[in-house]
Amino acid sequence: MTQIGEIALWVALVLSVWGAGAAFIGGRTRRGDLALSGERSVVAVFVLLVIASLALIAAFLGDEFQYQYVAGYSNRDLSTFYKISGLWAGQTGSLVFWALLLSFFSSLTILQNRSKNRELMPYVAGTLLVVLSFFLIVIVSVSNPFTLLPFAPADGRGLNPQLQNYWMTIHPPTLYLGFTAFTIPFAFGVAALLTGRLDTRWITTTRRWTILSWFFLTNGIIFGMMWAYVELGWGGYWFWDPVENASLLPWLTATAFVHSVMLQEKRGMLKLWNMLLVLGTFLLCIFATFLTRSGLIESVHTFAQNLPIAYIFLGFMSFGIVLSAALVYWRRDQLMPDAHMDSFLSREAAFIGNNLLFVAAMFAILWGTIFPLISEGFLGQKIAVGPPFFNRVTIPIGLILLGLMGVGPVIAWRKASRRNLQRNFTWPVIVGLVTAAAFWASGVRHIQVLLTFSLGAFTMTTIVVEFMKGTRARAVIEREGVALAFVHMIGRNRRRYGGYVVHAGLVVMFMGFAGAAYEVEKEVGGMLPGESTEIRSPFGDVYRLTYQGMSFYEHTNGYTFAASMEVEKNGEPAGIMTPMQRSFNQRQEINTEVGIRRVWNEDLYLILAGIDDMAGIAQGTNPTPAATLRILINPLVPWIWMGGVIMALGTLVALWPSEPRGRIPAEGRHGAGTAARPEREEEHELATA
Amino acid sequence: MKKQRKFMLGGALLVGLIGYLMVTGMRDSMVYYHTPTELMAQVAADPGYHDMGVKVGGRVVPGTASFDQRTLELRFDVLDIEGGTAQFPVAYQGPLPETFEEGGDVVVEGRFTQAGVFEATTLLTKCGSRYEAAPEDYLS
Repeated sequence: MTQIGEIALWVALVLSVWGAGAAFIGGRTRRGDLALSGERSVVAVFVLLVIASLALIAAFLGDEFQYQYVAGYSNRDLSTFYKISGLWAGQTGSLVFWALLLSFFSSLTILQNRSKNRELMPYVAGTLLVVLSFFLIVIVSVSNPFTLLPFAPADGRGLNPQLQNYWMTIHPPTLYLGFTAFTIPFAFGVAALLTGRLDTRWITTTRRWTILSWFFLTNGIIFGMMWAYVELGWGGYWFWDPVENASLLPWLTATAFVHSVMLQEKRGMLKLWNMLLVLGTFLLCIFATFLTRSGLIESVHTFAQNLPIAYIFLGFMSFGIVLSAALVYWRRDQLMPDAHMDSFLSREAAFIGNNLLFVAAMFAILWGTIFPLISEGFLGQKIAVGPPFFNRVTIPIGLILLGLMGVGPVIAWRKASRRNLQRNFTWPVIVGLVTAAAFWASGVRHIQVLLTFSLGAFTMTTIVVEFMKGTRARAVIEREGVALAFVHMIGRNRRRYGGYVVHAGLVVMFMGFAGAAYEVEKEVGGMLPGESTEIRSPFGDVYRLTYQGMSFYEHTNGYTFAASMEVEKNGEPAGIMTPMQRSFNQRQEINTEVGIRRVWNEDLYLILAGIDDMAGIAQGTNPTPAATLRILINPLVPWIWMGGVIMALGTLVALWPSEPRGRIPAEGRHGAGTAARPEREEEHELATA
Repeated sequence: MKKQRKFMLGGALLVGLIGYLMVTGMRDSMVYYHTPTELMAQVAADPGYHDMGVKVGGRVVPGTASFDQRTLELRFDVLDIEGGTAQFPVAYQGPLPETFEEGGDVVVEGRFTQAGVFEATTLLTKCGSRYEAAPEDYLS
């Protein structure tokens, strides 16, 4: 039955190649039938990839361990939910999943534009099919999920316990939705270059796709941070790991593009720059997929020993870079700006500054990430750069951007007058300075914290003032009540006010990052039941932790040790926390499950780092086992997640169509639906079990 | 056009600032990445290499790992993943990393002390999500 999956992949590849050829030739020779065949191939490839994906899921659900991929990521005891997530748990399956999502978005684009953009569409379809062909070639040649083992093992190796976590299950699909959604603006950009129709039409057509992609990229990165925080058990959420960096790179250029595109729409500036950002962001999405799935950088092997997949990906990226550069060079005359910048004190300058910073940050992070490869290639020595490098570069950039975020949206176009500056910035500057003074007075001497909060307060004030001014103006002009005016104002300018909300969320998130400066950490070795320890948070709260005892229990596919810790905050009882260590039968590793007690301003974070005499506890012969605990207080970490939620809401406001004819948000809901579906199936299994 | 030159200069200043941060950041956080055999050769050639922070990628020698649950001290020997003859002990203090196992591949960062022990400040185990088993692993 699952042979169908492999056949579907091959047919999809043949159709993609055919469709790409037909679409380009049809577009070039203006043969409508060929172009139509190309566009229809996109939809057919989507259907075939659905079949292949279902076949792979069926192989997981049917415990068909003769497939190497299934055996490597599943076992009989694994819950249905994680069996389904096996589709994207490893490299081979996740490439199929990537292609599936891309073909889905591509088909939507084809349907959306079946009577629009007729000049561009053959080239759009052709470009999308070239990308799909590339992924399908990789899949069938070197990364086939339907590869059979020479024998059928009795059971699989199971899914790595670290991946058996809700955030980890939705993190990769969310990022992939972002990566694949950005392929649509890329395809339109290439089509615009090929046809020479370089007016703003291709940009307005793909505007929502860009924001949709940004929405998924942002959330995907945040989900990854949440996973690292709760699952990796070292109290942090970002480690400048190559894989994390890889997902941040396209986000940085996509964010730059979301801003710079406004300069092209309003003033006809930055046409060349915007084109480069779109092409570059797509290539970085490919790079990120490749890096996360090949393990090239952090691998202890040298480059030459890596799989052929590395060469295929590098070949495709080189092809993309050369082709993009050639196309842009060919059309360079049409990409000249209609206007120039007039003053440093202008919205244009703020946006261009923002773009330079985002792109500089991208290059710096890219450089630091691939430096081990560069140094190995050119110096014959593998040299790594650590977190201090990334912090040194990105913290100043982040702080400047935090301030620019308050300036850009409100400063005048072209050249700000003195009056404009006074009117817009007097209050924000006062609030920023007062905040800085208040923090200084309360003893904060940490320069990054002072800057984050004063710049954050400045930016937040500009946002609040914008909302107030807009609401008041509308209430007066339309003679509406304040609440109604507020809602209508946002409804009429969704992109603008949604953007402000995103900015507000980012300010909150930055303040959350700053909390790391006051992190408190304590390690207590060999605690015996009944013993207590105290830790004082930077906000002055005192937590008293009493170790009550260790429980041991077995479950279907492993066992768990859990320490019971009674918590008192400032002398008041504050519940029980149970940091754990889990082990799974199929894998040897131990997996720590941290305990987190969250209040609005800080997390108390407990790691069960060591357990004396595990065997004695398991056999019940040791009633007083010693435990070693690592205790952290992570100030303001809840603000990071809160900021993320605000950003997501703001993006949804910007994404919502102003006119009823828009279709994209409905598509967005479909995308979210694929992540939600497995849960229901798990319930189903529980009910029948 | 004179004005445009001024803007170019402004942009160049901004990019220059980032470049400066990158260069100084590189200087402070660069570490060499060695195999155990390479490290032994370096230390033999230049005793000053003992004080250098380095990263070493190697394989945990089966039967050498011990972990004290109270002091959280982890000790094990590493050797080259492929070929090579050098083997030396590593000491690391902290919770046992999640995917640590004997025979597994690790990256340790720290210094190779005069006493002949590699004192690791960070210990990374090969990330499980990218681990693909070889067919023979299923036979057991």
